Amino acid sequence: MSSSMKKQLAGLVSVAAITASLAACSSNPVQVTSCSPPQGPNLEQAISRARFDLETGCEHEFDSYFQRLLTVAEGDPKKENKASFSEFLLWANDTGLLSKRQARQVYNRYFGVKYVSLVSDYSVCTQTCPNQSDVMRNMNLELADKEQGLLKISADRLNYTRASNLYQETELVLEATCMACGPFE
Amino acid sequence: MKTAIICARKGARRAFKQLLTGCLLLPVAAYAANAPTIKLFPTTVLEEIKHTGNVAAEMETGLQVVISQLDEQQKLYVDSKCEGNEGDPGCERIARQLGKSYLEMLNVMAEKLPEMETAVNATSASLEKRIRKELGQKKTSWTLQELLIGAESGKSAAASKPSLRGRSGMRLSDRFSQYYKLVARSGGKTNSSLAVIASDIYLDMQETSSLIARTREEISRATLMEQLNQSFGAITPEMQEVVAGVKAILFGEEFEVVPMALPPVRSADTGFESALQM
Repeated sequence: MSSSMKKQLAGLVSVAAITASLAACSSNPVQVTSCSPPQGPNLEQAISRARFDLETGCEHEFDSYFQRLLTVAEGDPKKENKASFSEFLLWANDTGLLSKRQARQVYNRYFGVKYVSLVSDYSVCTQTCPNQSDVMRNMNLELADKEQGLLKISADRLNYTRASNLYQETELVLEATCMACGPFE
Repeated sequence: MKTAIICARKGARRAFKQLLTGCLLLPVAAYAANAPTIKLFPTTVLEEIKHTGNVAAEMETGLQVVISQLDEQQKLYVDSKCEGNEGDPGCERIARQLGKSYLEMLNVMAEKLPEMETAVNATSASLEKRIRKELGQKKTSWTLQELLIGAESGKSAAASKPSLRGRSGMRLSDRFSQYYKLVARSGGKTNSSLAVIASDIYLDMQETSSLIARTREEISRATLMEQLNQSFGAITPEMQEVVAGVKAILFGEEFEVVPMALPPVRSADTGFESALQM
């Protein structure tokens, strides 16, 4: 092999090595995101870690991160937790992870007294009564989430009691109202 | 047979005490709850409820004499140690007299029940119409829950909210007794309370109507059976089964008592309020 050919080959190898190293740099961020929901007892730290992960490639895991945060918060129930989750969901909305409506629904599902399961645009007779059993089933599931959010996370017994009362009153009033509406087609 | 008659009579009294107490207390509850923005209790409904109470009172008056008579005869039967001594001519005579009084009571019931049934059904129909219009057609499920939670009548409404009574596990008379206490506690009720009370009364009326219809059917059979017993002075096991059936209807279903749902809400939490709050 002539010396000129050796020089050309060496040049090619160098270019390839530089290209490869550049490519490697661009695909590896400074800190690797593993998409594993945060551990540990501290809610603020867990939220901080979740924010970082969700901003750096783990947005598709939002639900599991949120569930983990709820579990972490259960370890230290206090009224302030409600504000922490509100702030987190507002941030999720700001960063485009959730729409305003989604953020509102998630927050109220866990920390609100009213039932997002009851959101509807049409009258009780026409929209709710034909699906009465589904509506009640969904409300019941939501009540369990409110138990977690209000009672176990926020230590807010008063509002959980209100939510529970509301569930039972809604069940009674819907039963009567749907009976009064009559059979639907 | 004699025991069966006594039991059936006790059952009849109990069932009718339930019916009558409920109906007599209804007007009080409804009148006091008359402060609606949503019109669940207009004058016509109140008048019908009042009328139902009057009909119930008339039936009570009609039954009072014959029930007292039955009480005395039953006491005599027990005091004479007739239970297990049915062959005794004296006991047989008391038993026949008991049977006659029982028939008389069945007749009074058969005579008064249709009017009672009409009154209950009319009240139920009026309430049905109001609930359908005010809650079923004018509200979405979201605005309905806002009504129930008191949002439309201010947050202070939560303080006067009735503790939930629940539909099952309670006798009719106890349920209406609760309505009475509930309403007597404070004069003006919120719309949220009215919706719950109207719903509860309406569902109770539906059940009462069904109970009256079943009772009327059983009265016919019980009357026939007692007439046969008066004729032959004996009863076959099949007839005893009929009596048992009548007893079951008149005694009504025995529900287990459920605890109060939850303590009443005192006031809303004024702590943290999220920007996401709905």
